[in-house]
Amino acid sequence: MVPPHPYSWWRFSFAERALILAAAVMISISLVLSTFAAVTLWWTMHAWRTPETLAATRFAEPDGDHRVTFSLLVPARHEQAVLEHTVERLLRSTHQGYEIILIIGHDDPETAEVANRVAATAPERILVVTDHNEVKNKPRALNTALRYVRGDVVGVFDAEDQVHPDLLEHVDHAFRDTGADVVQGGVQLINFHSSWFSLHNCLEYFFWFRSRLHLHADKGFIPLGGNTVFVRADVLRRANGWDGTCLAEDCDLGVRLSSRGAKVVVAYEASLVTREETPDTIGSLLKQRTRWNQGFLQVLRKGEWRRLPSFRQRLLARYTLTGPFLQAFSGLAIPVGVGMALWADLPVGIALATFVPVVPMLANIVFQTVGLRDFGMQYGLKIRLKHYAWLTLGAFPYALILSVAALRAVWREYTGRRNWELTAHVGAHLHAAGPASAEASAA
Amino acid sequence: MPVTQRRKGSVALLEAVDDSPRIVPTATEVPAERRRRRGNPETYLALSLTALVVTVLAINITGFPGASDDEGTYLAQAWAVANGKGLAHYTYWYDHPPLAWIQLAALSWIPGLFGVDGPAVAVGRIAMLPVVGASLMLIYTICRRMGMAVWSSAAALLIFGLSPLAVTMDREIYLDSFAVAWMLGALALVLSPRRHLWHVTAAGVATAVAVLSKETMLVTAPAVAVALWQNAARSSTRPWAIGGYISGVVLTGVFYPLYALLRGELFPGPGHVSLIGAWQFQLANRSGSGSIFTTGSGANDLLHSWLFYDPIILVAGLVATVLILPVRRLRPPAVAGAILTLVALRPGGYLPAMYVVQILPFFAIAIAAALDQAGVLSSIRTRWLRPVVLTLLALLAATLVVPRWWTGNQRALTADDNAGYAAAADYLRTAVSDRQNTTVVVDDVLWLDCVNAGYQQEKVIWFYKLDLDPAVKATLPHGWHDVDYIVSTPALRQDPAALPTVNTLLTNSAVVAAFGPQEGRIEVRRINKLENS
Repeated sequence: MVPPHPYSWWRFSFAERALILAAAVMISISLVLSTFAAVTLWWTMHAWRTPETLAATRFAEPDGDHRVTFSLLVPARHEQAVLEHTVERLLRSTHQGYEIILIIGHDDPETAEVANRVAATAPERILVVTDHNEVKNKPRALNTALRYVRGDVVGVFDAEDQVHPDLLEHVDHAFRDTGADVVQGGVQLINFHSSWFSLHNCLEYFFWFRSRLHLHADKGFIPLGGNTVFVRADVLRRANGWDGTCLAEDCDLGVRLSSRGAKVVVAYEASLVTREETPDTIGSLLKQRTRWNQGFLQVLRKGEWRRLPSFRQRLLARYTLTGPFLQAFSGLAIPVGVGMALWADLPVGIALATFVPVVPMLANIVFQTVGLRDFGMQYGLKIRLKHYAWLTLGAFPYALILSVAALRAVWREYTGRRNWELTAHVGAHLHAAGPASAEASAA
Repeated sequence: MPVTQRRKGSVALLEAVDDSPRIVPTATEVPAERRRRRGNPETYLALSLTALVVTVLAINITGFPGASDDEGTYLAQAWAVANGKGLAHYTYWYDHPPLAWIQLAALSWIPGLFGVDGPAVAVGRIAMLPVVGASLMLIYTICRRMGMAVWSSAAALLIFGLSPLAVTMDREIYLDSFAVAWMLGALALVLSPRRHLWHVTAAGVATAVAVLSKETMLVTAPAVAVALWQNAARSSTRPWAIGGYISGVVLTGVFYPLYALLRGELFPGPGHVSLIGAWQFQLANRSGSGSIFTTGSGANDLLHSWLFYDPIILVAGLVATVLILPVRRLRPPAVAGAILTLVALRPGGYLPAMYVVQILPFFAIAIAAALDQAGVLSSIRTRWLRPVVLTLLALLAATLVVPRWWTGNQRALTADDNAGYAAAADYLRTAVSDRQNTTVVVDDVLWLDCVNAGYQQEKVIWFYKLDLDPAVKATLPHGWHDVDYIVSTPALRQDPAALPTVNTLLTNSAVVAAFGPQEGRIEVRRINKLENS
């Protein structure tokens, strides 16, 4: 018999071979996780790369002209507690040419009552449209209203949004200044003080609208946000409005418009952002996130993104749409790897390798700390030591929530549950104490 | 200010009129951009000066200076890394963080390219040339980024490169040279004119690598912090830059204690080495080398040996450091130079022989920076003063500095201080027949030569391990009787009282071959086994 070559794989015993294979697998996994985490961090920090990039993310100063007319769509469902306040604020807008279209389900008399009452205060501005669709969801409500739109530009707001009076003027200027087809304004969750997960939720929005979306606008692939988004009415009609079957109609619209080459502009100005509230319980956060993730999955499966002109854009699309699931995987795999490194008797090199993906994760926490400080300064909020503690200690539990939501989304999508789990709104972001009795019922 | 807009992609869906103002490159900007693409003439200047200095370093690098024990230690540890024996071929006891000799191991293929003959340590020095080359380029970059003129930046490069003290120290295999290169890299990165977040984060990583290459480099980190703070001043991204820098430093640096933790060697305990135990030893138990001002103390002797090679860079560097400290744009290198000087002056501390390696680049920058500042100040008052000042400086340099450095470097280019080691290595390779089964006690310099000559790695013993490492004692069941040869060198004879076994070997052995001059004599001695067994 020929003796094995000294460098042959077979000179190892079975146990040694198993160990080498296991080591190779662990090192590859941690390599993939590190790359994913590093790329995500890289993109999350997009706006702060240089002082010049940061300056470029802001709205240009408006010239005072009002040339674009707006139709602002506000779908409301069981949101009688917050709707009136939202519309009142919209009416304070400094812009001259706009109308507000409130969309109320035919089975929702409480909200309809509020809507009609507010509409009576400004009949020339407000139109109430009843949505007769059997299955109710936001894209269908928006499509119902699209028929009534008279303005050049369609804007979408949610019923609990606090919109700045100067916003429309800035958006008007942005459309004329840049020749954009779509302008996405900033949205910010404000009630970081409500709970540890609210704080994390607020920071997610902060990093997404302040930074990450600008990168997407730059690269020509953008999942739009659900509100404070403005689209030229003709562009929207040509794209056949929103997809009534998609759980993330906002993301879907962005992807479809991107792949048709629409020009998207993102602008963020702390004073002008639309203020929103976070889900009030972990359960509703979980539901909301499940819906978004499932929506991302649906958009991925629809494959509209394949029409994007360049390979890099398609790669970015694929990466972005699968992002929540990669995130869920790493949220679980990294702690498991670290746990194994600490408690199992691994060779020290492999054990060290499992810690590499932790580096971008921890760097992310450092940047979030800076972000929290910046957030507090920009919005004039007092950030206490307690909040920094929530940030660091809550990072892992929050990642866990996101992971569960991602898994839930996959499970729901592949078992065919595609109904709309609505998020409840109690008005925690409003300055007046939110009426606790008026809790909206979630579908 | 303009809003972010999509720049790539296909034709816009709407034929919207784009009347936004475009930044049109002006006539002067276009050639500047083209120049950058083709390669800046300044880059060629810095590269040629670096090549000149590296040539001076390379000529006779094996002959001068004499191989030191420390060089042998680091080279042997790099050998252990390159050959998969762990971080050292003896128990790694966290005496230094290991990154420098890991890098040395990564560079260990370079000497082989040149086919130079000689003792392993002398030949291994060739791997240091790219490291010093990087430092030279970085010094030029740092000076330019601090706003210094081309002539003064070039002067900084040449002062650091051609001072005889630097030529001597930078040829040797010292961990400090790696640390210096990385810390200069960190400084260059935080001074980046683009103020890019990832440059600053990379600077944090470089700082950590510098400290993990040589722990004492930590004291120069404030210079990087000052530069970061200054460069990010009045910018909207300063807090983010600081966050990035801290992430880079901490998240890279933490891998060293993590390594110790995973091996169960973070905390002191019975029967194993530990990182914290090593720190306690270094901080508390290491005997000081006395005050630098006391005649006859170790530190004072060391200072005189440095001054012997080149007083100019040390004296002028110190003066320049003090002078430029108040100048905002030149402050970072002055901060590093000042801290390093203060640390050296502290009474009773331990001052290692290679300490000066860390000071030299900052002193060189300081000297050039002071000259640059003199040029700037003279041109403010009167226009004709500036050429006069520059001519004066050039004359001064030509009469005072050049002759001194010429003679100093002549020695570096011609002396053959390693002939004794070379002959001893030759003897051990050729005259001893049964090398496989011979146990030999040597200093660190000859260790790798013996292993390369075919002695078993376990049977080539660093002399001080005989008395200090229980694991080594265990390999010799009959104590000193198991040793066949001891090679006595100045390093081995330095402290006979502390090492009883070495002393016994020296008294129970006879010289079989001797090399080199009287004061640096290298003796190969065979152990007399018959008399005592």
